[in-house]
Formats: sequence, C-alpha cells, structure tokens
Amino acid sequence: MGRKNSLELLAAGEIPLRYQRNFGTLGIEGQMRLLKSRVAVVGAGGLGGNAIELLARLGVGFLRIIDGDCFEVHNLNRQLLATEATLGMNKARVAAARVAEVNSEVQTHALPEMVTEENARQLLTGMDVVVDALDCIDCRLLISRTAQELKIPLVHAAIAGCTGQVATILPDGPGLEKIYRTAGPSGKGIETVLGTPAPTAALAAAIQAQEVVKVLTGIGEPLAGKLLYFDTGLHIYEMVNLG
Amino acid sequence: MRIEVRLYATLRRFAPTAEGGILFVDVAEGATAADAIATVKVDADEVHLLMINGRNCPAGQALCEGDRLGLFPPIGGG
Repeated sequence: MGRKNSLELLAAGEIPLRYQRNFGTLGIEGQMRLLKSRVAVVGAGGLGGNAIELLARLGVGFLRIIDGDCFEVHNLNRQLLATEATLGMNKARVAAARVAEVNSEVQTHALPEMVTEENARQLLTGMDVVVDALDCIDCRLLISRTAQELKIPLVHAAIAGCTGQVATILPDGPGLEKIYRTAGPSGKGIETVLGTPAPTAALAAAIQAQEVVKVLTGIGEPLAGKLLYFDTGLHIYEMVNLG
Repeated sequence: MRIEVRLYATLRRFAPTAEGGILFVDVAEGATAADAIATVKVDADEVHLLMINGRNCPAGQALCEGDRLGLFPPIGGG
C-alpha cells in the first residue's frame, strides 16, 4: 500500500487501515491534507526526533529533515532516534531511515547540514509548515524570520528542565523576536543550567506535532500569536498572548 | 499600588522564599514593568519575555493596581 493508493482510497471515501485510528479526529479530508503536505523539520534531536516520529505515524506525506549533527552519547538521555547503534551517525539520515520503517508512504528528504543565513531560504522553500526543533536561539530566530519572509507557518518549541514552550508563528503574526530579546553570547538559554530531560522533550514535541496537524488540516485552534509555556514540575500551563 | 509578580523557572532563585515564585509587591503609581523587576531584585538581563495579565509587553509598559506581571527567562533547548 503506497501513498497514492491511500489517497485513492480516501478520495473514494474509504479509510486505509493504516490511518483507521486517525479517522475520528482527522476525517477523510484531514487525512488527505496530511498526506499531501510537505513539512520541514529543522533539527532531529530531542524535539525533532519525537516530532518526526509522530508526523510520520500521522501520515504527513513529505518530510524534509535538516540536521548536520551526528548522534553523541549525551543525546541518549532524550533523543528518540539516538540509540547505542546510531551513535556517530548523522541525525537527519537516521531519522529518514526510521520514517521508512514506520510509514513507507511518507517521502523523506534528509539534509545532513546546518541551517545558515546562506541556505535558509533554499532549505525552507516549498514547505507547507516548518518545525523549529533547534537548540540554538540565533538559528531559531533565523528560521522564524525566513519562514515569515517565505509566508510559511512555523511551529516553535524549546525546552529546559521541566519547562517548555510551544508557539505557532504565522507569516503575518508576531515572530520569535517577541520571545527572545537577543541570544546570549552562547546562543543558549536556561537549558545550560537545567538540562534537557526526556519527558520535557517528548511533551513539547507532541504539542508541536499537534500544532502542525492543526495548521495543515484547519482542525482545532492553533497557538497562533500565542505561546504555551509549561512547567511540569509545578503543574503550570500558561498562555501568553504575543500580540 | 500592589501588583503580583510571577517568576518562572530559573528566575525563582531571586525569590527563594516565594512559594511557586509568586510575590506581591508595592510599586509607585506609574511604575513600569522594569521598575517592578528592579523592586523584586531580578537581573533584568535574564528576563526575555514579560507578560502583564497574560499579554506580552515591553519592559517600559506602565503597570496598574492588581496587575499580574510574569517574567520568563529564555528557553532554547531541543
């Protein structure tokens, strides 16, 4: 069963078995939209690995996976795609191989490179949504600006300790510069103090994947112009209107 | 006038005795968010996102009686 067959079945009003348990939420129209969608995931680490897994299982038709890093031992605490077997391997390539195992209907384009001022437009062009799963504030600001210039919605997430945040940045809405005044000298935030444990990465990535679905299908209300901040240590869930 | 200040994540260390990072402080009429940050002795350089009553605002925004000011440090991990 390939993506074409799934789309034909859906067009005929039938639900491919693979997506049966999506149906009650997505419906036929929503599932077709996902299968026809193109999403770039920038960063295939703690956030990106989880987001890629969820987007592949949901049936997003095309994933461009961008990451120039290779898995290291300190990634094993939280990064879904980091295993003892994948240490030393490029994250984008490992992610594409994982997607092929999970859902061969999803096309992937693994790009083992970092996002820079020079290549950002080229990497994001043609995508329906960009997922910001990076770990560097400067790079996050770069892809937020670029996505807005290209008129592509961007779903941002970031984590530190038990805290995380998710926001959906629309082309004509407030950008990430509302959240980050400037990057510090290291380009990092408080994760340098609090670390990045697995539950926080998985939670933020799950909300992020749900935002992608909402933007692509029109089902539900995206976090457009809003930031969801959570702190699972104290059961805090705050919504900040970015205005 | 009295306002509520909520410190998030690492900023709570500036008020270690405030349960949940929540403080109630008195500031002068016309005080801004920046004035309140100075009042609670939080390092302004560590504050990236500010909100008043759930809405993002600049540090220069004036406060009103009963406002809830939230202060967030930058979160960047992935």
